[in-house]
Amino acid sequence: MPNPTPPAYEDVLLLLDADHKLVKKMFIEYAGLVEDDAPAAAKQQLALKICQDITVHSQIEEEIFYPAVREAIGDDGLIDHAEEEHAHAKEKIAEIQRMSADDKGMDDAVKELATMIDEHVMEELEKMFLQAQYSDLDLRGMVPQLVARKKQLQAQGGKMKEPTKKATTRNQVAA
Amino acid sequence: MKALVYNGPRDVSVNEVPDATIERPTDVLVKISSTNICGSDLHMYEGRTGMQAGRILGHENMGEVIEVGAAVDRVKVGDRVCLPFNIGCGFCANCEKGLSGFCLTCNPGMAGAAYGFAGMGPYSGGQAEYLRVPYGDYNCLILPRGSEEKENDYVMLSDIFPTGYHATELAGVQPGETVVIYGAGPVGLMAAYSAIIRGAALVMVVDNHKDRLALATKIGAVAIDDTEGMGIEQVMELTGGVGADRGCECVGYQCCNMHREEVPNLTMNNLVATVKATGRIGVVGVFIPEDPGSKDALQKRGQMAFDFGQFWVKGQSIGTGQANVKAYNRFLSRLIEKDKVKPSWIVSHELPLEQAPEAYKKFDARKEGWTKVVLKPGMKK
Repeated sequence: MPNPTPPAYEDVLLLLDADHKLVKKMFIEYAGLVEDDAPAAAKQQLALKICQDITVHSQIEEEIFYPAVREAIGDDGLIDHAEEEHAHAKEKIAEIQRMSADDKGMDDAVKELATMIDEHVMEELEKMFLQAQYSDLDLRGMVPQLVARKKQLQAQGGKMKEPTKKATTRNQVAA
Repeated sequence: MKALVYNGPRDVSVNEVPDATIERPTDVLVKISSTNICGSDLHMYEGRTGMQAGRILGHENMGEVIEVGAAVDRVKVGDRVCLPFNIGCGFCANCEKGLSGFCLTCNPGMAGAAYGFAGMGPYSGGQAEYLRVPYGDYNCLILPRGSEEKENDYVMLSDIFPTGYHATELAGVQPGETVVIYGAGPVGLMAAYSAIIRGAALVMVVDNHKDRLALATKIGAVAIDDTEGMGIEQVMELTGGVGADRGCECVGYQCCNMHREEVPNLTMNNLVATVKATGRIGVVGVFIPEDPGSKDALQKRGQMAFDFGQFWVKGQSIGTGQANVKAYNRFLSRLIEKDKVKPSWIVSHELPLEQAPEAYKKFDARKEGWTKVVLKPGMKK
């Protein structure tokens, strides 16, 4: 058996930002569904997919990327702030995940989440990513670890705060 | 230092802010002598972008180097330099190929960095007394002796002259061809100028502002007034019913019909109609991936109803995106140096920095005669 193909991402910033771009595209798509008066079930499906992807993305950042950047650039304020923003986003995500498809608050909640993520991503790109790039952090070397963890979390359907009822159940939304 | 700060939609002011400084060893610090107001500044001015309050605007800058970082070799204190609006690193895969507008490292994750521009990195603009220039050796175009007398020509190398040229490059303009240009704003006029420099046989400029169209005729282009909605017919008549060989879009997503209503697909579909079968279209007008402030349902999500069927049937092709200024500014600068071109013919106003807020208001309102404003931070009120 040949070895599995190594991840193609040149560095960790490209990996993380590819997530940002996919989520951004889904938020724009969601706004389009709202505009088009699409069925509630279609909107909910997309909303849950967005929540799922952000959950996995934030987790690999918090577990691996943020601690490494914190050590490399020594700016605790910057990382603390990013983690706070993650915490706020998680509350909003939990709110969306609790909603039924026809919940009247769904569109607003997704819009609020979109705004939070937009602002968070912009700060992350303009402050943290640039600083990380200027530091001696091994941005290329971190890639395999992040990719492996991401795949693992995706297979688990994202690690939720609440214990899942059946550990064997895989969340198809993540597919 | 004094700088023009964005406070919110249609609200800018000249404030006292902390001086720009050398932050990294590869930086250069420039004392600004000229800095233009650009049409794309107006997208931010009108609150139609994610521009944050408190940031300094201005991406069309030139001045004198007053300090260089420890890792700067080529640029020296005292050099007069023109700064491309794009900030590039010089060493990423795109910069390597001359695609400096799409630098991969200066604004991680986004396509390209710029001074004082929404979504293009944390860099301050140059509508100020001083400007920090990252990767100074790569980004500074050192101007030749005698550049003082042609200040308003050289400052156009920061953006609109190369951007206009880029439109003709994307469209593939060759000697003897016919070219239709949508938009007689500064970029459209520079595209017309560039098409003429490249030897086009006929250059047509379409707009509905008479003062701007008058400028187009000054350089030998044919002005086409679309106010009555007859633009397409006129282009077809001038090209014997076949359409222009090449087309340039120099308006962007806030393009308006004759009733001053925004119709985001207007210029693109008019180009499909007025460019000949197999012709090529260059798009440098700004279009954005989402625009919540628009009234148009498609435009809100960065889409438009594009005449793709017609585009396909005609076998046309298209090139898009912001100009890679560094790909053009050196040779265009030689044309200025040797008196072959004089892009300053476009300048309508030279004003001290303090008058920038008033200038924004006039330029935004498309007040007659306000085509291009050059701000001079050193000029006395």
